[in-house]
Amino acid sequence: MAKYGGWAGKVLRVDLSTGRIWTEDTVEKYKDYLGGTGIGYRVIWDEVPASTHPFDPANKIIFAVGPLAGTGAPCNGRTAITTLWPTCWPQPLVATGHMGGQFAAELKYAGYDAIVVEGKAEHPVWLSIVDKQVQIKDARHLWGQGIRRATIQISEEIGPEAAVAAIGQAGENLVPLSVVINSFSHSAGGAGGVMGSKNLKAIAVHGTGGVRIFGDKAEWEKLIQYHLSLLGANNQHVVPGSPQPWAEHYNPASRWVASRGRKWEASTPAVETGTCEPHNLNRIAYRTNNLAYFLGPGDIGWKYTVRGNGCTGCPIRCHNVLKVPSVSAKYGIPEVGQNTCAGLFFGRAFFQNFPDGPKGLTAIESCMVGMHLADDLGIWCNYSQLQRDFIKLYNNGTIKSKLGEKESKSYSWDKYEKGDPSFLFELLPRIAMKEGELGTALGLGTGYLLERWSIPEEEWKKDSKTCYWKLGHPRHHTSDEAGQCGVILNTQFNRDAQCHSHTNFTRNGLPFEIQKQLAAELWGSPDAVDVIGAFKPMNVYKARFAKWSLMRKELHDALSLCNYMGPWVASPLKERGYRGDDSIESMLYSLATGDRKDRQELDQVAERIFLLHRALTIRDMGTKEMRTQHDTIPEWVFLDPAGKPPFTQGTVHMDRNDIQLAMDMYYDEMGWDRATGAPTAAAYRRAGLREVAEELGKRGLLP
Amino acid sequence: MTPFSPLDSTRLSQILSRRQFLKLSGVSIVGISVLGVLLCKGETNAPLIIMEQAQGIIIADPTLCVACRRCELACTEFNDGKASPAMSRIKVNRNLNFGPKGAYAGQHGQGTWGNELVTPDFCLQCAHPVPCANACPNDAIVVKPPTNARVVDVEKCIGCRMCQRSCPWEMMSFDSEAGKATKCFLCDGKPKCVEACPAEALIYLAWRDLTDKVPIRVAPTSVISPEKAATCNECHKK
Repeated sequence: MAKYGGWAGKVLRVDLSTGRIWTEDTVEKYKDYLGGTGIGYRVIWDEVPASTHPFDPANKIIFAVGPLAGTGAPCNGRTAITTLWPTCWPQPLVATGHMGGQFAAELKYAGYDAIVVEGKAEHPVWLSIVDKQVQIKDARHLWGQGIRRATIQISEEIGPEAAVAAIGQAGENLVPLSVVINSFSHSAGGAGGVMGSKNLKAIAVHGTGGVRIFGDKAEWEKLIQYHLSLLGANNQHVVPGSPQPWAEHYNPASRWVASRGRKWEASTPAVETGTCEPHNLNRIAYRTNNLAYFLGPGDIGWKYTVRGNGCTGCPIRCHNVLKVPSVSAKYGIPEVGQNTCAGLFFGRAFFQNFPDGPKGLTAIESCMVGMHLADDLGIWCNYSQLQRDFIKLYNNGTIKSKLGEKESKSYSWDKYEKGDPSFLFELLPRIAMKEGELGTALGLGTGYLLERWSIPEEEWKKDSKTCYWKLGHPRHHTSDEAGQCGVILNTQFNRDAQCHSHTNFTRNGLPFEIQKQLAAELWGSPDAVDVIGAFKPMNVYKARFAKWSLMRKELHDALSLCNYMGPWVASPLKERGYRGDDSIESMLYSLATGDRKDRQELDQVAERIFLLHRALTIRDMGTKEMRTQHDTIPEWVFLDPAGKPPFTQGTVHMDRNDIQLAMDMYYDEMGWDRATGAPTAAAYRRAGLREVAEELGKRGLLP
Repeated sequence: MTPFSPLDSTRLSQILSRRQFLKLSGVSIVGISVLGVLLCKGETNAPLIIMEQAQGIIIADPTLCVACRRCELACTEFNDGKASPAMSRIKVNRNLNFGPKGAYAGQHGQGTWGNELVTPDFCLQCAHPVPCANACPNDAIVVKPPTNARVVDVEKCIGCRMCQRSCPWEMMSFDSEAGKATKCFLCDGKPKCVEACPAEALIYLAWRDLTDKVPIRVAPTSVISPEKAATCNECHKK
């Protein structure tokens, strides 16, 4: 029997150029990096030379999960995809995309912790993985098909239980803004074109094995029950959004939207969500309904809700199913759809008004049309940056000026102006097919789009409405939700930050006094957090909060825990003073694998993983000047439309000098060099990355 | 306890000679393994294949299922120490994407790709005749108190998979590591899957016969052995 539980044990390697298929021992080679992004960064560091283009056969794409994927640990359904990122501007750098669904679990049950794909096939292929049987199969009959048809045909061939991660026409055509999707609608942005460049249409996986839990099964059951007891709703919002008979507090901004009288109305018959008393673990799935949260306000989202859906093993159903019968006759698309967050309103986000108002039926129909097209063609919204760019470029006349008359006339702009969702049938396929100037330019991602049209990036960086941050990508939960901590986190990645550790705390819905108390216990002072919209100057506790947030994000992406849910440091439990448990990750990891690591030890592994990301960024940028060249902050962060000074009630904008201090303190916390923002040789060595430090030293990239 | 109280199914309306024998002897039917020894000294060596009725049954409501598969995970992790939905005794994944008709239903079936209805399949704890038990060449499927669930005796199971071919609902599972069949044993009265469901889609009830109410998935392809067929004849043939 294997020494450790948790890991499946093998990393599957596939070279599409030669057709060679082999495996590596996960524990032997990657245990120090856990899994997920840890394996991804390690493979890129070891095997992909600096300056490799994302679409070059020498680039590798790593689908990786961690030791908790496929287990009963709540919220373990996300697959991390690491590769050189085609939308990262002005030069591609390493980044990761994350998809939920059933893929992560199936991969483990088939016996693999990761799949590393390299090279380029001679003609379109798909990868079939059924337990030990791995085959490269002809995909010429699937090429040119949407994700839906490709998935169905593959499922007909290898069985309905397979998790099929496929690209659509966008990925085939090397559109940088393209996704890979599994389980109908669970997507990872940015990776579609990389698969397309390898002639890889899909990876289909089905496993009949299992994931062994190292520890005693009764103890594991107890730990799972404990973890479940600490869960809130989506984003770990731990108080309900409306008064409930059991609840001491409520917060209207909470994603815990269930209540008596609120029903999944499009279910037949309707299903009451009820009061969802937190000790009743058999009602967790009813707490969240992101249709109600995102399609609201009011009850319009409930009207179209069929049920909750989501990833394997997750009781939080954040990926919700809706049914809008009118779209079938009006647009010829299925009346049922599903998604969450930005994927849910992919179509709606293009429009500026609708004939029946912003929350009418047409807005919902635009969501349905958008989801139907984007999730079949495989287009990525770049966290809604695509739509924000489109609106800005339309309103300032750029689009019409860049398109020739013929192309401009080929679009029904009157439909767009009116808010007619059928306009999406004109726009989205052209993005996927790279048809015309508009379709081609929009599919590039913001950075390359602006470059193509000779628009200075600064224009986007000073306009808060664009939400644009840097490197071609938008903000993700920044100063508006966690002050300086949010700003710091948004400087660290090569795409949008995708970090939720901080916002899952600051927006958990608890009264501020309780948040302060928990913050003091976690990061050393109540001053680690502020009231949102009444921020105070930087302090060292905020830097600790930022580092903790970053480490937990990286840890979750390596273990396969969902950072849209974790960490779990607050809970809905009054008897615990609303405390969660900062050690949940290490308890789950230790018991599942048998490799005992406490909270600090596991955070150190997370630091090692993130340092590899940092080292890769430095190596590929060819500069150690991270502070000025990479960790940049857009101008809009410092601008307040009403001219309110920073640190006053009602503004979320930041102070320049204070943010410089914030970066100083953050670099100090990380043990990096303040002047360059680059990790020191000692920092790498502390994390067990001596050879990485040596390599960077040879290149003159150490501070 | 009246020996035949659980066997009040109308299906067993005939007075059977060996049943009468049992009644007279006051022996409770606890399983074929015991009774095979106890009773086979009469007119035939065939094993008695009547099993005492189960006490409980797990029922799933597809309209509440949220397709999270926590039931499959609880079944295998908390009972077997490994997360292995393929050997779970409650089965969701096979219906999750396309419904019971599989991928050939395309987007016109059930499941995530169809009408969104996800049907968890559960063991019916069949009344006599119990297909999986009857198909087993080693009489390895036995009744286990206190729930009287039909369970696999791993000591006797040789891993031939005949039971998998016998269940019209495809509810027999297989532990590929152990090389043994496994099936729902109701967790001795506290089913882990029911405890684990975050949507109250599963309930544990007193047993009732649903064999003619739950649609079958496949036509069974196993055959009953001549020895057991002789027992059927003995009891049923006028």
